[in-house]
Amino acid sequence: MPYHEFECSQCIPERIKHAVDKTKNDLTEALPLGYLNTIPGTLSERGCAYCGAKHVIGTPMKDVIHLSHGPIGCTYDTWQTKRYISDNDNFQIKYTFASDMKEKNIVFGAEKVLKNNILEAFKAFPKIKRMTIYQTCASALIGDDIGAIANEIMEEMPDVDIFVCNSPGFAGPSQSGGHHKINLAWVNDKVGQVEPKITSDYVINYVGEYNIQGDQQVMQDYFKRMGIQILSTFTGNGSYDDLRAMHRAHLNVLECARSAEYICDELRKRYGIPRMDIDGFGFKPLSSSLRKIGLFFGIEDRANAIIEEETKRWKPELDWYAARLKGKKICLWPGGSKLWHWAHVIHEEMGLEVVSVYTKFGHQGDMEKGISRCEAGALAIDDPNELESLEAMYKLKPDLIVTGKRPGEVAKKIRVPYINAHAYHNGPYKGFEGWVRFARDIYNAVYSPIHKLSLVDISKDKIVTDKSFVTRQMLSDSQLDESILNSKELHEYTGEFDSLKRLRGRKYPQYPMKGKLAAI
Amino acid sequence: MEMTIESGKDTLMSYIMKNCLWQFNSRGWDRQTQNENIIGKATQILCKETTVRKTLADRCYWAEAQQLVNDWECFPWLKKMNTSDIKTMMCKLKETLDYQLITNSLNEELKNPNY
Ligand code: SF4
Repeated sequence: MPYHEFECSQCIPERIKHAVDKTKNDLTEALPLGYLNTIPGTLSERGCAYCGAKHVIGTPMKDVIHLSHGPIGCTYDTWQTKRYISDNDNFQIKYTFASDMKEKNIVFGAEKVLKNNILEAFKAFPKIKRMTIYQTCASALIGDDIGAIANEIMEEMPDVDIFVCNSPGFAGPSQSGGHHKINLAWVNDKVGQVEPKITSDYVINYVGEYNIQGDQQVMQDYFKRMGIQILSTFTGNGSYDDLRAMHRAHLNVLECARSAEYICDELRKRYGIPRMDIDGFGFKPLSSSLRKIGLFFGIEDRANAIIEEETKRWKPELDWYAARLKGKKICLWPGGSKLWHWAHVIHEEMGLEVVSVYTKFGHQGDMEKGISRCEAGALAIDDPNELESLEAMYKLKPDLIVTGKRPGEVAKKIRVPYINAHAYHNGPYKGFEGWVRFARDIYNAVYSPIHKLSLVDISKDKIVTDKSFVTRQMLSDSQLDESILNSKELHEYTGEFDSLKRLRGRKYPQYPMKGKLAAI
Repeated sequence: MEMTIESGKDTLMSYIMKNCLWQFNSRGWDRQTQNENIIGKATQILCKETTVRKTLADRCYWAEAQQLVNDWECFPWLKKMNTSDIKTMMCKLKETLDYQLITNSLNEELKNPNY
């Protein structure tokens, strides 16, 4: 497999080892470098280590005041721009807190300011008794002792608990450095402090899941139907005190290994809880994942019943979209883990051709997974700069890119449709129904008539006046086989706008406890 | 299609690399343990031998292995293979996994002593 040289990056020779053309299944020939400091001269689109700690992992915790100790600018991205919702009226995305450090605080210190901020925040929200505080570059550089202030407050207010995360922006090459720091800080400082009430023989922590548009709630529904107790979710829709009780689970079920494998590995080492990596996306990978969790606990029949019911309900809808998406080219350009969660199954179940995978902050391990899962011919890129992304899009001519909002806007400018891989368009995308919603969003993007219209250059192209407006389906169905067009079985998505509605207030089966893990 | 031990091993290797995640733990020693235990238990299941499931860790390896063997139902040639050939093939499969993902891997994080 050869390394790929971008023409635009010939002046940055270090970049050559960051991209590979996949020609065959051999990872020992070439593997993009990853998780390295950004090369001077290349304009990276990564986040900082504070962002990785707070905005990715800390803030999805739902019953907590999340406070940044630093200038207000660091906090900007928090306020309602993330979509990690929760079942407590979205407290964590409704309110955002910062100590608002100014120049004078840099000179004279900001510990007093911080203490006042903490007191003020608890006073403003008297029902919330938990807080996380995040160090930023400014507060780290002046050496404010956040831990000491937190301890002072906890002594003065015994009913509150505070977690301090020292992961300033410069503490790593990208947001990934922050994921690492907060994982270890949480397991060191908080795990083991609360003894949970065990209500099932089958107890898991659901780790590396951030409840983007309800993903966690979808998976929680399957686990509850299987009679599994979710002790904690790290961290989407997760509760602070539940996460202090992680040490009592039988199994850590891990979704995003990129951001949360560290805590699983530590819990395995310190408490003997095994780590099981799963895929929550796509019918086949999700089915295999539910089955192996079922096998672990000796309840695979319960997993099978769910898989059968959900597949019967949603597969015809997935296949309606798959028939229309077959052969469309896609660049899979998410941040870290979705490149490997999606690379194979988007091809197998939706018929899309993955022409490129990239990662912003992934490590080489993520590339190993992504390259193994995508088909030969794909271009794998680590942390591309904007010019490289443009060059790749011009060369590969994708019908769609799946990426974050910054590179997504760049794609739109050259008339390539994009789907938001981080916050989703109309998620949740996890679960059986979620996968159909993803297919629908892809279909809507690829066949949107706007892209035909926007490609017309009115200064030189001929404007067609004898044809009226076309719809998506006119575009997608023009080449389709009669048997698909007339199929009575296949049909478009019929779920509700809010797919979580039917999960709220759902009654779950009660399985009496036998007192121990049946199989051990 | 006639399956040899070598081509059977290649088919199973491709299946694992595309569909599984357990072989990609981030440290070399960890990958070694995963490969040894999961391939070891999958071999026992395929050869209808007893598998040990005393600890939570054993149980996790076994669940991964059992799921893998269940997924391999799609390979009818595997059912026809005798025990000795299965053992030889699975042994080669583990060697290939170790070679690709540990000993000859270009992943520079594998030797990091910390998680
Ligand atoms: S790099 Fe530093 S200053 Fe910038 S957002 Fe991150 S923590 Fe704040």
